[in-house]
Amino acid sequence: MDIETMWLVTILGAPLAAALLLSLLGGRGARMAGWMAGLAAALSLAGTFALLPALQRGEDPTLGFRWIPAAGIRLTLHIDWLTFPFLITEAAVTLLAVVYTWGYHRTDERTSFFYALLLLFAVGMSGTTLADDMFLFYIFWELMLVASCALIAVWGEGEQRGAVALKYFIFTHLGSLMVLVGLIVLYDATGSDSFSALRAGVTLAPGLVMTVTTLFIVGFCVKMAIFPLHLWLPDAHTVAPMPVTIMLAAAMLSMGTYGVLRFPLSIFSPAQMTSFAVPMMVAGIVSEIYGALMALAEQDIKRIIAYSSVSQMGYILFGLGTLTFDGIAGATLHVIYHAIVKALLFMCVGLVVRATGRRRITELGGLGSAMPVVALCTAAGALAIAGSPPFCIFDSEWMIFAGGFHTAHIGLSILTLFGSLLTVAYALWFVGRIFFGARPQGLTVGRLPWAMVVPTILLAALALIEGLFPAPVFDWVAHELTLILGGVW
Amino acid sequence: MTGSVWVVLPLACLTGGALAVYLVARLWTSRNDRLALFTALVLVAALGMLAPLFGLTQAPLSAAEGLPTWGYFGPGGAFLRADAGALVVACVALGLGTLVTIYSGRYLALDRRQENYYPLLLLLVTGLVGMVMATDLFNLYLFCELMSVAAYVLVAFRRHLDTAIEAGLKYLVMGSVGTVTILMGLSFVYRETGTLVLPLMMGAPGPWTRAGTACFLVGFGIKSAVVPLHTWLPDAHGRAPSSISTMLSGIVVQSVLYALLKVCLGLGFPARDLGTLLMVLSLFNMTLGNALALVQTYTKRLLAYSTIAQLGYIMFSLGIGLRYALPIAIQAGFFLLIAHAAMKGLAFLCKGVCHFYYAATQIADLRGTAARMPLVAMAFSVSLAGLAGVPPLAGFAGKWFALSGGLQASGVLVYLGLVIFLLNSLLALGYYLPLIGTLFTSQTSEVSSQIRISPWMALPLVILGTLILAIGFYPGPWLDWTAGASAYLLALGR
Repeated sequence: MDIETMWLVTILGAPLAAALLLSLLGGRGARMAGWMAGLAAALSLAGTFALLPALQRGEDPTLGFRWIPAAGIRLTLHIDWLTFPFLITEAAVTLLAVVYTWGYHRTDERTSFFYALLLLFAVGMSGTTLADDMFLFYIFWELMLVASCALIAVWGEGEQRGAVALKYFIFTHLGSLMVLVGLIVLYDATGSDSFSALRAGVTLAPGLVMTVTTLFIVGFCVKMAIFPLHLWLPDAHTVAPMPVTIMLAAAMLSMGTYGVLRFPLSIFSPAQMTSFAVPMMVAGIVSEIYGALMALAEQDIKRIIAYSSVSQMGYILFGLGTLTFDGIAGATLHVIYHAIVKALLFMCVGLVVRATGRRRITELGGLGSAMPVVALCTAAGALAIAGSPPFCIFDSEWMIFAGGFHTAHIGLSILTLFGSLLTVAYALWFVGRIFFGARPQGLTVGRLPWAMVVPTILLAALALIEGLFPAPVFDWVAHELTLILGGVW
Repeated sequence: MTGSVWVVLPLACLTGGALAVYLVARLWTSRNDRLALFTALVLVAALGMLAPLFGLTQAPLSAAEGLPTWGYFGPGGAFLRADAGALVVACVALGLGTLVTIYSGRYLALDRRQENYYPLLLLLVTGLVGMVMATDLFNLYLFCELMSVAAYVLVAFRRHLDTAIEAGLKYLVMGSVGTVTILMGLSFVYRETGTLVLPLMMGAPGPWTRAGTACFLVGFGIKSAVVPLHTWLPDAHGRAPSSISTMLSGIVVQSVLYALLKVCLGLGFPARDLGTLLMVLSLFNMTLGNALALVQTYTKRLLAYSTIAQLGYIMFSLGIGLRYALPIAIQAGFFLLIAHAAMKGLAFLCKGVCHFYYAATQIADLRGTAARMPLVAMAFSVSLAGLAGVPPLAGFAGKWFALSGGLQASGVLVYLGLVIFLLNSLLALGYYLPLIGTLFTSQTSEVSSQIRISPWMALPLVILGTLILAIGFYPGPWLDWTAGASAYLLALGR
């Protein structure tokens, strides 16, 4: 076992081992649970970075063995350039969410289980991206759902949490089942469940290609919360405890994008995908505008940011739908940048709620003087999500729009461009209503724990730095496209 | 007497064991835990006696050749044959029976008349094993009746409860209708062929044999709860002691299904048509089972309806396999059978623990189980999540194989069936997940203190829970195990 394989195992193994240990310790481990979870998440992130040199040398570290020989099913972990941007996003978001939890979560006898489930959620996400086999992919895909659903059902806010968790599970499971059928059709066609076999090429009847692609795209759009498949998202994001919301919004939504890139786009040729371009672009625009309008109409500050995710996923789907180099690279960059900014905004919401105990935007106002650091971070997040330079999302939106203008559908591209005006509207309105104006009667501001503030500042800085120096991340993302598109562009 | 003595040895062991347990209870000790231990030893011994058969039954060249048999072969003959499918069913029955017996070592401690319970349980298993191995219709009928009668009495075992008597009576009446129908079919077949030995009837069936086959379909259909002949099942499985529900839901109805396939194929019913029939019926089974499970308020009735639905999944896989001659689909059916036995068995046993310690009957009574009995809550969740098909548990592997088998076939009925199958697995989440949620909801009314559950009960829970995880994580060997069964059924249908 060489050093790369070891790191590959660490990415999954460290959080998994910590989760198991924490569940075994139960109430006895409550005091050190946070530190253990943080350590595991940090190891996972370190493992991801440690594999970067190998990728740059042109290797792709793999670990695999036979699992169910009778059915040709293997168990393989594999990292390549398509995996890497997503993996790094999840690992980083997990680490920050765990640190944020130190301040957010009050320690009680169930704390160990909370951290254990957070880590399992993270294992589900990184496993999904690392898996090189359909069987394994689907196991991790559902682990992600089960763990997050349990977190919402047990630690959610409000009496409705059980119902919300059920709705979340059933809705996303519907998408999973579509993906499962698509996977099994491919499995039956190739006789092996390995992605490597798929990359080598798969021949399907043209009608079957259409069916499978539709199943994949619709299935993954449920996870991406594209209108009208977004119904689970606002409730789940609002009810979930804040660290879980951060992981849901910043990392889990991107799994849908990964799925679209990994399955239909990498397996089928661009010619086979052309008929899906316009539907994807249109669905993206509808989602973008609908999400932004709903964000404008909402009163609850957590729901505003939740609907903003629906809108942002619309940009990503539009970018994927363009089927151009710029559009797909922009969409992938947008996944990373959206993760940074969305985590930042949710952390800010969490800080405001923690400090004031209020969530309705009409009951907030004038907090800028009382909590200047949070105000600054929120403003950075809002400007970033509005796509204003020099923050990071400007770069990715630029790429997405550029991709749009490369296609024959200039009208649609202009529509997205103007749709982004609505994003500006809700983002600025959000900051303005909370931090400026007169402070309502009886609004007091409590102390904030450092563990919640530090990650927030870090993310705000990152949003700026990424905007100024996008080259390294862009370089990682650009590598993926040769995998997907081959030599076509 | 010719043939391999290994075929008949387990049956002799079980029957003798039943008698011995009764005598021990009468003459020596009627202590529940000792009787349970003794019964478990008998079952383990019988399981051990099946072991030598494994090497002999894998991948037969044709249906009739090379399988270990015991008895007279000829027009007036009667004999048993250990085929691979029968072995799978028998092993599951004996394994589950052993765990149920250990569990009963504590579960029945507050009951009386245990000297009847354990021998009846052994007779139930004897009937089951004999039924799946019987290759002549006469023996098949006898063993089926032995199993059924034992089951009727066991369902009504707590006879001081009106509900138990009612459920037992309903089961008895419906079951007897099935029995009579089978007997009628048997006479039709005998009238035309002059023999009851299945391998001697390989020619084209005449009108009487066809009528007989129809009778067998209805009769066995009643006993294996094929919709719309399922009406007795929710009562019987919902009212019986949990340990008995485990056996009934886990393996008894499935074993009747296997007997149904064997008889129908043996009587010359074309495999293709039988497959189509099974597929169509299975859609009703899964839809009705899931839809009615959604509205249940009693835990055991919910689990019973879930059995009807899961039986539909098994029938669906077997049906596709028979219709399109796809070995992998039949294997998937048997795999689902094994997985379901473990999962449903565990669910009923967990429910029984809750009933034993705090008289939980309704779903709402299960609130706070996680705080009182963490082990039971964990095991219950594993079994329910497995039934819902959540990876990496056994149910998911079954779903994967069923889907991948189904998608290899093509046809309107298959696609329609697969869509209904998937919608059903979504529908099923609607009752499995809230049930898991109920376990972990804290009880508001009273202070919950932890209950130490007896090791007699904990051991089967742990074993079955581990098994569900093991089957899910490492389904390969289990799938291989069913290869012989699918080869046998396909050879039989040819």
